[in-house]
Amino acid sequence: MTATGDTGTAEPVCGEVRTCLLQTSLSLTASAAEELLRLREDERVRLSERPNLHAVSPDVLTGVDCRLPTGSGARVRAIGTVAARAVLTEGRVLQATAYFRAAGAGPEQRQPWGHYLVRPGVLEPFGGLPVRAVADGILAGTRQAGELDLGAVSERLLTAVLRHQLLDQRPPFKSRRTRLRWVALRTRDGQAPSIRRFTLAADGLRTVELRVPEEIAPAAVAGLCEDLALHDWLLTTLVRMVERSRPGSADGYAVVTALRPAVDHLLHLWMPRARVAGALSPLWEVLEREPGFTRQWQTLVQRIRDQLALQAIPLPREALTAR
Amino acid sequence: MLVFAASDKGGTGRSVTSANLAYRRALAGDDVCYLDFDFGSPTAAAVFDVPGALRGIEAGGLHTYLQGKVSEPERIDVWAETEHEVLRHRPTGSGNLVLLPGDRSGGEFAVGRDALRRCVDLLLRLNAEFDLVVVDLSAGRSYAVDMALEATSRPAMRGVEARWLVYHRWTRQHVIAAAGLVFGDRGIVAGGVDRGHDAERLRGAIRFVRAAVPDPESPLWSQVPPPQSAWMRKCDQDLDELAADLEAGFSMVLGSVPLEPVLQWREQLITDEDVLASKVANMETRQALEELAAKLTDHESWGAT
Amino acid sequence: MTDAVFRETAAEPRTQSVPLAHVSLELGHLYMEDFEAGAGRLREHFALVRPWVDAVRASAAGNGKRPRISTCFLIDDYFTRFSSPAELVPLLLAEADRCGLTVDYLARESGCAVADGVQIAAAVEARLVELPPPGSDGSRPPVSETGWLANGERTPGSAGAEAMAGLTTWSPPNETAARRHSVFADVELWDDRDGRRTWSCPFLAAVWQLARLGLLRYRGEPVLRPRPWPDGGFPHDWDALPPLIQLSPSAAPFAAYRTCSVLPSRFLPVEHAVRVVLSQIQTDPDALRQVAERSAREGVPVPDAIADRASYVFYAGP
Repeated sequence: MTATGDTGTAEPVCGEVRTCLLQTSLSLTASAAEELLRLREDERVRLSERPNLHAVSPDVLTGVDCRLPTGSGARVRAIGTVAARAVLTEGRVLQATAYFRAAGAGPEQRQPWGHYLVRPGVLEPFGGLPVRAVADGILAGTRQAGELDLGAVSERLLTAVLRHQLLDQRPPFKSRRTRLRWVALRTRDGQAPSIRRFTLAADGLRTVELRVPEEIAPAAVAGLCEDLALHDWLLTTLVRMVERSRPGSADGYAVVTALRPAVDHLLHLWMPRARVAGALSPLWEVLEREPGFTRQWQTLVQRIRDQLALQAIPLPREALTAR
Repeated sequence: MLVFAASDKGGTGRSVTSANLAYRRALAGDDVCYLDFDFGSPTAAAVFDVPGALRGIEAGGLHTYLQGKVSEPERIDVWAETEHEVLRHRPTGSGNLVLLPGDRSGGEFAVGRDALRRCVDLLLRLNAEFDLVVVDLSAGRSYAVDMALEATSRPAMRGVEARWLVYHRWTRQHVIAAAGLVFGDRGIVAGGVDRGHDAERLRGAIRFVRAAVPDPESPLWSQVPPPQSAWMRKCDQDLDELAADLEAGFSMVLGSVPLEPVLQWREQLITDEDVLASKVANMETRQALEELAAKLTDHESWGAT
Repeated sequence: MTDAVFRETAAEPRTQSVPLAHVSLELGHLYMEDFEAGAGRLREHFALVRPWVDAVRASAAGNGKRPRISTCFLIDDYFTRFSSPAELVPLLLAEADRCGLTVDYLARESGCAVADGVQIAAAVEARLVELPPPGSDGSRPPVSETGWLANGERTPGSAGAEAMAGLTTWSPPNETAARRHSVFADVELWDDRDGRRTWSCPFLAAVWQLARLGLLRYRGEPVLRPRPWPDGGFPHDWDALPPLIQLSPSAAPFAAYRTCSVLPSRFLPVEHAVRVVLSQIQTDPDALRQVAERSAREGVPVPDAIADRASYVFYAGP
């Protein structure tokens, strides 16, 4: 059987991850996280407690038979399954990733479904795969009707988890979801992995293009992108929270109420590379240099701490009025 | 928090008043979302002066979403896309104001199991993002009302705070009809209980909003002859008594909106500019809207809910 | 990540493997009414099966090495209950023996629904990944009718909850990836009556196939494992009998790379339905890989598709 066999051509891995705050007043414990992500009764949830609490659901598959988006307008029909998994970090931030590996070439005729089911998370094109065009199509963000809808697959999983009875739907603060769409092209001959593009677009959409050595499993690439998406979401959310607290406005109490959830629920979540495969972790350093994810985070954290410290000092009334 | 806006009949100014409440809350810094569930005639875009979506949008709106044809409904950022002179300048400190329009050709439709699940998912998602979600429902005992009752009865929604505003005009017929919509045999409370809502909790989450109320004490009527003035007072008093008899009395009223030509004829948002500069709208109206907007989340106005 | 000093077992769960024979040969699958018909019916059955069993053995021996073949027999105790193991099983074994056949493993059909406290059938149902008709772009979940599974697209209108457009003209159902003409099948997986779920015979038979192919796992552990039963005494209650017992201690492993079932031809529609189910189940990827690697190492690679690992002999008979 050739379930794991490669045809030898470049086989990109593509995906989309959606990130949101888990809609519950308190963070979930490890056992609750396990229950939440048990998408199938007979499969285990991968649970890790060091260096932070991290739970990964089993992959669920969605069958597709449709065109892949292409930048060139070329029509490429592909058949197979898109894998999706849900990930919960520190019982607080929920992510759903839909991803697939595109086979470099496939038979010119649709095979019996069992053929595709033993290749979970693989899409086989009819004929050859125009790799660059498909990568461009996935990253473009515009999707023609009838083309593969990765976002819908991850969204469906995310909403299914968010409907779970365990969640009280009383989150400590309001926040938006973000979407990160990614494509990893394959490198060979020991070439190091690299980030080609990280783009922040409107509407909470981010796109990432990577080069990753062939031997790295699709799930590991998905893991890296989940880590990027998590930290991008943290930054986005914290920026918005600081903005909304209106630091400097007269109402000190309001500032404290607005910023407190950050201290309670967000600040401890910053931990880049905690879950990234060793071979891929150098990619983070690129983003640390430019634009400097951690630098921005630390500045925000400092700003929040300063604000809270200011509010904690009971200033004598005269000092304020004398100005 | 979810706020469902219902009304017994058309012509109560439900949509325009609700839109004004959404606008007031956004001005105050809340992130607000307005859903046009008026499936018969989606018009919210006109109120917000978003020209691209005047009679609903072509496709991809709430109808299309609920029918499962798109995975997410279209969103319109009102501050960015409005053509309204004043709204275009988003004040600092204001929150997001987002409109989810209906489809142009969309009509009322029966709500199936899948549409309901999509509705729940959408409400959960918006509740996660927005401080206030205003849902404008078609008038009367409509499919939209059914869907709202059904969706909020789902286990996944039990933690989401939901409130109901029932708009009616200040006339005998309207008071009776509004009370019927809430307490009647096929009313909101009965319909909610059928779907598993707790009767007391649901009643506690419903308030009436009296619309287009002429104030006999207003300077507007100060010139009328004494018999007419006395008659007006008497009518007002009778209506108060009628409302109280029908359990739509003072304790169940969140507020009143005065009879206001700008709301009646222009059906638009009342900006501070309308009140202060061009003076086409009355100060009382603005005040009433501001008070209503504040009361939406005010503990005292909602008792023990 | 890989060569780390620090490890957490819950983060890297392992899937246990099971011993595997070459062929799991099913000597029959009888309903209670077959037993009711008496010893004569059983004798007739085994006499008809015997030549085909020899044929299967001969064909498996084709590659020179002595093939590992285990035999099994499934008793239906799920849909109807008749007699007791103490009465029936010795009779069955004696009649098989009279025809020169040995039953290595004996299973109860209800064990395919629940075994060892695990809801096996429900877990397998949750692993169905419905085949996508052309045009499925992932934006909508498959149009499933709860409790049913098809090999294509149903006639529209039957499943639609949105009664928006009034006018619908009939169009035929469609087998996905058919060879020109459709053979559309819609399989009932279960029904719920009086608050109780009853799994259908084809669905349990699909679970049975997965067990025989060594592909059933529950959180990484094999389920429906054979229990040794060397002494021959059988209980008076079906529930007291383990769901799968090993009767001959020296038998080849229960699970195998391939299965072959010798059945009367009236089982043909059921087994077609089994194929429809098997071809839409995503089995545990680790279990799948274990089987693929070991069969390849032995020089007898298995076909990719699970359904293609099952074969049948349908004999004309009662």
